[in-house]
Amino acid sequence: MKFAHLADCHIGSWREPKLKDTSTLAFSKATDKCVKENVDFILISGDLFNTSFPRLDNLKTAVNSLKKLKDKGIPVYIIPGSHDYSPSGKTMLDVLEEAGLFVNVVKGEEVCGKLKLNFTIDKKTGAKIAGMLGKRYSLEKKYYENLMTENLEKEKGYKIFMFHSGIDELKPEDMQNIITQPLSLLPKNFDYYAGGHVHIVKDTKIEGYGTIAYPGPLFPNSFSELEKLERGGFYIVENGSLRWEPIQIYNIFKITKNCNGKNPEQVYDEITSEIKHKEFNNTIVLIRLHGTLSSGKPTGIDFKEIFSILYGKSAYFVMKNTSALTTKEFEEIKIDVKSVEEAENSIIKEHLGQIKLKNFDNEKEELLIKSLMEALSTEKQEGETNPDFERRIKEEVSKVLDIDVK
Amino acid sequence: MIGGEFGKIIARQKAGEKLELGELLVSESGENKILMQVFDLIYGSQISQQNLELISGMKLEENADTEFFDRNLRNYMLARLKNLVTINKEKAFVSKLMPSFFSEIKKEKKDDLSFLTKPENPLFIGNLRSGSKMLDVPIYLEGSRVLSHHILIAGTTGRGKSVLISNILWNLISQDYCGILVLDPHDEYYGRDKLGLKDHPKNEKVSYYTPKEPPAGAKTLKINLKTIKPQHFDGVVNFSDPQRQALILYYKFFGSNWINNLLFERKIEGVTFHDQTVAVVKRRLLHLLDLEIQGENIITKGIFDINAGINTIYDIIKELEDGKVVIIDTSSFSGAVEILIGSLIATELLNNYKFYKMKGTLSNSPVISIVLEEAPRVLGKEILESGPNIFSTIAREGRKFKVGLTAITQLPSLIPREILANMNTKIILGIEMKPERTAIIESASQDLSDDDRNIASLDIGEALISSNFAKFAIPVRIPLFEEIAKKDIGSKKQEKRDFSGIKISYN
Repeated sequence: MKFAHLADCHIGSWREPKLKDTSTLAFSKATDKCVKENVDFILISGDLFNTSFPRLDNLKTAVNSLKKLKDKGIPVYIIPGSHDYSPSGKTMLDVLEEAGLFVNVVKGEEVCGKLKLNFTIDKKTGAKIAGMLGKRYSLEKKYYENLMTENLEKEKGYKIFMFHSGIDELKPEDMQNIITQPLSLLPKNFDYYAGGHVHIVKDTKIEGYGTIAYPGPLFPNSFSELEKLERGGFYIVENGSLRWEPIQIYNIFKITKNCNGKNPEQVYDEITSEIKHKEFNNTIVLIRLHGTLSSGKPTGIDFKEIFSILYGKSAYFVMKNTSALTTKEFEEIKIDVKSVEEAENSIIKEHLGQIKLKNFDNEKEELLIKSLMEALSTEKQEGETNPDFERRIKEEVSKVLDIDVK
Repeated sequence: MIGGEFGKIIARQKAGEKLELGELLVSESGENKILMQVFDLIYGSQISQQNLELISGMKLEENADTEFFDRNLRNYMLARLKNLVTINKEKAFVSKLMPSFFSEIKKEKKDDLSFLTKPENPLFIGNLRSGSKMLDVPIYLEGSRVLSHHILIAGTTGRGKSVLISNILWNLISQDYCGILVLDPHDEYYGRDKLGLKDHPKNEKVSYYTPKEPPAGAKTLKINLKTIKPQHFDGVVNFSDPQRQALILYYKFFGSNWINNLLFERKIEGVTFHDQTVAVVKRRLLHLLDLEIQGENIITKGIFDINAGINTIYDIIKELEDGKVVIIDTSSFSGAVEILIGSLIATELLNNYKFYKMKGTLSNSPVISIVLEEAPRVLGKEILESGPNIFSTIAREGRKFKVGLTAITQLPSLIPREILANMNTKIILGIEMKPERTAIIESASQDLSDDDRNIASLDIGEALISSNFAKFAIPVRIPLFEEIAKKDIGSKKQEKRDFSGIKISYN
């Protein structure tokens, strides 16, 4: 048995015009590689798309890749992730599943208030696949708490569990603040746990659980991910052994400067002398500056000129990050570098309990706020009329609030 | 009321009434009421002792059918009472009044006790007790102050310490003002196989770490070696001065990788240790941390790990700061490992809270209490003779940083007097041994010098609370854990299940 495990493709994630097609390109490259490797099937552990209704141009390219796989007879099994899930259950994933491009394995029954997940069996290999979706703020934890595990754990055969959640026990030190859940919530006795959501490349064997693997994104999704991962990739699992296949779209060149005690001119000189004798063909250049300038302000560094030199040396794209750069001349502005989700989370926590409602404690309030934010964060789709968009939002909100919105 | 002196008032019991030790009585004096408590009972008689002995002899030796004239007038019970508190218009004050001479005293009524109100941050201990009768008056203390100023729970085995802790934890789960760390050497509070804190309607506020087969929702206890610092061993392992210096030097030189480097006896540039120092430290660390060296690798056999558990201490502290009850199952560890884990968490927690105080944001954080079973293991005179540890530091200065201890022991006399005095709330259960009672009485917040017999006679589930945050030493009965838990579980509304996003077929 040979299969590929992808996750966090985030098709449509980058907004910068020069990078907006990168994740789609990475997906095409990955699927081409899967065809070449002649895998039996492909798993995508959540967040194939960056939203539940991706842009049409991105969608078109992704559908093209999925169609190629279908034509080659390589089945694709997916789970919705925190980005492409929708409370109403209406997402582009449904449309693509209806078109037979993949199978969403998150299916089950409600038995006495508990969630009983069913297996999807891969016809060619007989592999039994079950999965749980991911939601924003790890709200899927409630699903796990009500999950029947006995049927999953007792099933015989080669079993794969797909999930889109961070695990407390496997969380790296630099991701301390992301919301995760304990390993004990996952059903035991699976051979392979195909993880997504946490953008790390990690596989580990845990007694009672088998191999738990996170392949990371297909292409890094932010400045810091580009710095840390440089490239994306996925796993090829062949007869139980794992191989991580990198997907190289661009080269990465990092310029990191400690600016303590320097003025903007000195920082400029240091950067320009570092890049002087280099060429940056097909390269994304990342400039991160930190520390405290002895004089002047960060904007005094002539980035326009630095960028111009880099583009003159064929750099594909240049990005800078000066969030940890301060100056002695001005009052220090404290900036906490966090992900959007972390920042939202801490703001929600800060404001909990300001309005007292009967039978409505902080935990309930937090859950409601997060669910509402999740429902309201959906964007209007291309070609979607205002009344349709309004209806869709109302449906999702009414589901969260458990009321009829007319 | 027939005589006596302040604090030792003598009252005569009406025939047919049955006063008990510890019973609460009320005397009305003008606008004020005085709440009193029986601390001694004695016989009284109008007949001289000589005649009483004679009459009893006639009954015993000659089977004489004797009977007293006006027996209720001639023979009776006397009770010795002490003032607890003066009540004026639902407010209570320290008692400085004597009841009027020859005035009547009555058994307490619920109205008399309306001054016992529920504070803003309630900490439920039990129901008010009058003698052996449990009254329908719940006793709450101001939890945020009580927890930060430390609690001592003292009592002989089998008198209800575990039930009391279970009740306190159960009730605090619903409160947002505190986080509680429980080092649980008997793995009894979470309720892995029985009713326990996992069954609380708000069990999302309970976090359980265990090294063995974590049940669904629990976390595997793994602690990364990188998170250990030399100071965490204070009070855990008795290192000699040169050994301690070796630990500190390795930490200074290698940072978070210091244990790894020490175990491989890597040289520190410019530093020479005595031949055996590093070897001894290495051997003791390998033993304590349950590690083995095989060639170039460290083999981890216990909870201390070289790869996993890098965020465990951080996660535990974050959960405490989020107002959760965090239970660490230490039942499979040696005492030293349990104390090391406690020391790791407590040290980092106190550091965080000191930092918050420095920033001026401490008021936003909940008070944290650390529940320590068999407290003399870390707070005992013997252990503290070799130097302070994080727990003695918290006992002395933790209250300034909103970090307190809930120390449990059956041997309070082993804890130094200074630390006992810092435990500003004492919940005293039945104690048979006189030296233990004396240690508690001498360090109590109220004058309990007449309560020695009362404490000795406390039955299972009966307790006396002496606290700086109570106007008097409050007698309580601790309800059964099953009763309060089942009541809360029964009143929980069934939540509607939401599996949105999943294709469900409903059966």
